[in-house]
Amino acid sequence: MKPPRTGTAAWAAVATALTGFAACLAGWLAGGGDIDLAWAPTLDLRLQFAFDGLGALYALLATGIGTAVFAYGAAYLPLHLEHERMPAAAGRRFWAWMTVFMVSMVGLACARDLVLLFVFFDLTAVASYFLIGFDRHQRESRGAALMALLVTGISAVALLLGAVLLYTTYGTFSLPELVQRARADTTTSIACALIAVAALAKSAQVPLHFWLPRAMAAPTPVSAYLHSAAMVAAGVLVLGRVHPLLALDRTLLDALLVVGLISIAIGGLLALAQDQLKQILAHSTISQYGYVVVLYGIGGASGAGAAALYVIAHAIAKSALFMTAGAVTLATGESRLSHLGGLTRRMPVLAVASGVAAATLAALPLTLGFFKDELFFGAAHDRGTPMAILAVVAAALTFAYVGRFWFGLFTGRPGAPPRPIPALLVAPACVLAAVALAGGFVVGPFAGLAGDAAAVTHGAAVDVSPAYHLDARAENVMAVAAWTLGGALLLLPGVRTAAAGVTARAGDRIGPRRWYGVALRALNTFSGRLHDAEVRDLRNSIAAVLVPTGILVVLGFAFTPTRGSFTVGSVQAQDLPIMVLLVLGVAAAFTAARDPGRLRPVLALSVLGFALAAVYAVVGAPDVALVAVLVETIFTLVFVGVFSRLPQLRRPQSAVRTRRNLLAGIFAGLASFAVIWATLSRTSPASGDAAAQIARAHDAHGGDVVTVILADFRGLDTMVEITVLAVAVIGVASLLRRGRSW
Amino acid sequence: MNTVIEVVAPRLLGPAVMVAAAIIVKGYTDVGDGFSAGVIVALAIALRYIAFGSEGAERSLPVLRHAPVVAAAGLLLALAVGFLPVAGGDPPFTHQPAPGAHVVKLGTLELISAVAFDIGVFLLVCGVLVTLVHQLARLVEDADR
Repeated sequence: MKPPRTGTAAWAAVATALTGFAACLAGWLAGGGDIDLAWAPTLDLRLQFAFDGLGALYALLATGIGTAVFAYGAAYLPLHLEHERMPAAAGRRFWAWMTVFMVSMVGLACARDLVLLFVFFDLTAVASYFLIGFDRHQRESRGAALMALLVTGISAVALLLGAVLLYTTYGTFSLPELVQRARADTTTSIACALIAVAALAKSAQVPLHFWLPRAMAAPTPVSAYLHSAAMVAAGVLVLGRVHPLLALDRTLLDALLVVGLISIAIGGLLALAQDQLKQILAHSTISQYGYVVVLYGIGGASGAGAAALYVIAHAIAKSALFMTAGAVTLATGESRLSHLGGLTRRMPVLAVASGVAAATLAALPLTLGFFKDELFFGAAHDRGTPMAILAVVAAALTFAYVGRFWFGLFTGRPGAPPRPIPALLVAPACVLAAVALAGGFVVGPFAGLAGDAAAVTHGAAVDVSPAYHLDARAENVMAVAAWTLGGALLLLPGVRTAAAGVTARAGDRIGPRRWYGVALRALNTFSGRLHDAEVRDLRNSIAAVLVPTGILVVLGFAFTPTRGSFTVGSVQAQDLPIMVLLVLGVAAAFTAARDPGRLRPVLALSVLGFALAAVYAVVGAPDVALVAVLVETIFTLVFVGVFSRLPQLRRPQSAVRTRRNLLAGIFAGLASFAVIWATLSRTSPASGDAAAQIARAHDAHGGDVVTVILADFRGLDTMVEITVLAVAVIGVASLLRRGRSW
Repeated sequence: MNTVIEVVAPRLLGPAVMVAAAIIVKGYTDVGDGFSAGVIVALAIALRYIAFGSEGAERSLPVLRHAPVVAAAGLLLALAVGFLPVAGGDPPFTHQPAPGAHVVKLGTLELISAVAFDIGVFLLVCGVLVTLVHQLARLVEDADR
């Protein structure tokens, strides 16, 4: 069978990622740099990017792992599309979102402003929604995508809240400035806790971890990228960025420690019992990012350095393991570990590559992984004996589930036989394995990168220098203990299954995934009720705006002094034209409200509009009058055009509804009458904002202040308004004529 | 009535474009701006749709086909004028020349960047409204068929 062709979009994406990686590498070697552009200074919004150590680490991961995964995807996606019976053109959508994801990840890595951080944080969530739900004909994929978006998107609001809290206290969104100004107090702690919640949800930490296993419905390249090195790494990246603020409150760091330890335990125990290959890896990711969170909780120079190196080693190894799982599933058509085995002879290259990746994750010597655990053990040991013991147990869990994954796949009784697969499905994993192996011999560059990143997190220079020591120091003893304990777990399947079973049952009973379901159903019901009450009927929609507005106005009048706010002016002879026009307007309004037909109310409304336009012209607002006449004309045209297409009027409404509409109308009308009267009672055009703008119009080379306001003083508003016009016409096109632009 | 419209409609576009041009040229010193100018031209075109139907109007004026492109071009022009200053380190919508600086004049037309922004608004409003009228006309005609 001839494999389907890889599209040009895939190669373009690979080239983009590779170019990005080269650029990031060059940028890091050149010592980084920064951009600070205040694009909306009145709102304190600026584009503040810095390619510092932390930015370099995550940008290199996003583009480097991205290159490997994109190359893998170039071979994987055509087979996947064929298997799912999707058109080859769907691949373009895939690559567009993958590239958007990579770019927003690089943006997130370099952002040093909390608002920017939030924007890129959400961009990654949006891109991940489309990637996880790529097989959109499958209900499971859509549900998984929605869950990932809801959990990470809603918790991202906490990040924004934290940012605004910090802004109101310290007057800046810029992280370097915040780090200088922040003091240890309750507001800062609350703000930092909110930011940490968003970060932990993104990194799939307990109790907001449940979206990650479900997100395995995504095509494997998505998992290999998003769920090893990118999306979940975004959370710990934010933790690393704001760590100097978190470190102001010891309680926050301790909370991180607890969350991380629980995540290690739950993720690790559940990974021991999973049968689906990708589910093992997903739970392992929860557990592995638990390590990083624990290290940030330990804090200090050693914690920051260890966390940075851990992220590098984990991303490389986990990505290679995901690729292995995908390649094996494509080759054998089987995704359950219990039906697979003995693949070493049939797929030797993949066995070696994934063996190295597994050894990296399990922290065996001669791989980069050994050093990640050496630093982890070092930091835990510095913290105290209980922490050291927990660290050993955690590493033993990792050893056990990684061992189970690799030995289950490649040794033992042969399971489903593999078909030949394209070499490109194996090569990227080999490259990553080679990198992990190289790191085991020459750790210098990796340690240097981790040290640069840790310097940003720690706020001072950090020396990360892992090495092999052939002596009985604490780190080595802990490593040997972890391997022994892990090996015992691996050889005792009974203990393993029992421990995992208890955790899984407890999770089903009281786990957050259940609460997610309950909350989603309740929200759905609530939304359905609200829709029935408000949106289903046009009159109800209008009443839902007008009546609450009226209530607010009444409340406003109840709590503000109104003495002297309502004046009745005198009527003079020169006001006669205005009076006539207003009487005309009132008559037209009554006709519009009373007439049961269709065309006459529309025409009456336009009479009302023209009467008001004439009033503007008489009182000396020619700009407003001109616009009012023009808009009224085009509105009447559009109204008549749309009404000619509406179905015939239904039978008249019930008396109860008519009375209710009447009451709502009168209430809202009285409230707006009161507001307009109060406003007209204190007109003073020669003071305040208006006077200042009239005075400044000359400086803007303008004679007509309204035009100057529109194009200059309030130019951004005008820009947004005309953008709304463009969006509206797209809406009209898609509603009326199925998106045809002409 | 129809005869009157059929006679007036084709002859009204020229004056409408003239009025719109005058509004833009004098706009910054006198009443009116790009928005009004765009609506005036669009109204003249809408009158043709009323008189001749969408097919007749578009046959006699094939350039209408490009209305969505005109709208997009207007949006891009306005965006460019608004955000180009950011590249120079200024806040967006910093118009040139600066307050107090000398302004080059061609007759009554003052060469300032705000006028370019106004032209963007004009193109967008005109393109959007013509597209809207076209969509509505097509909707009515498709249903009548």
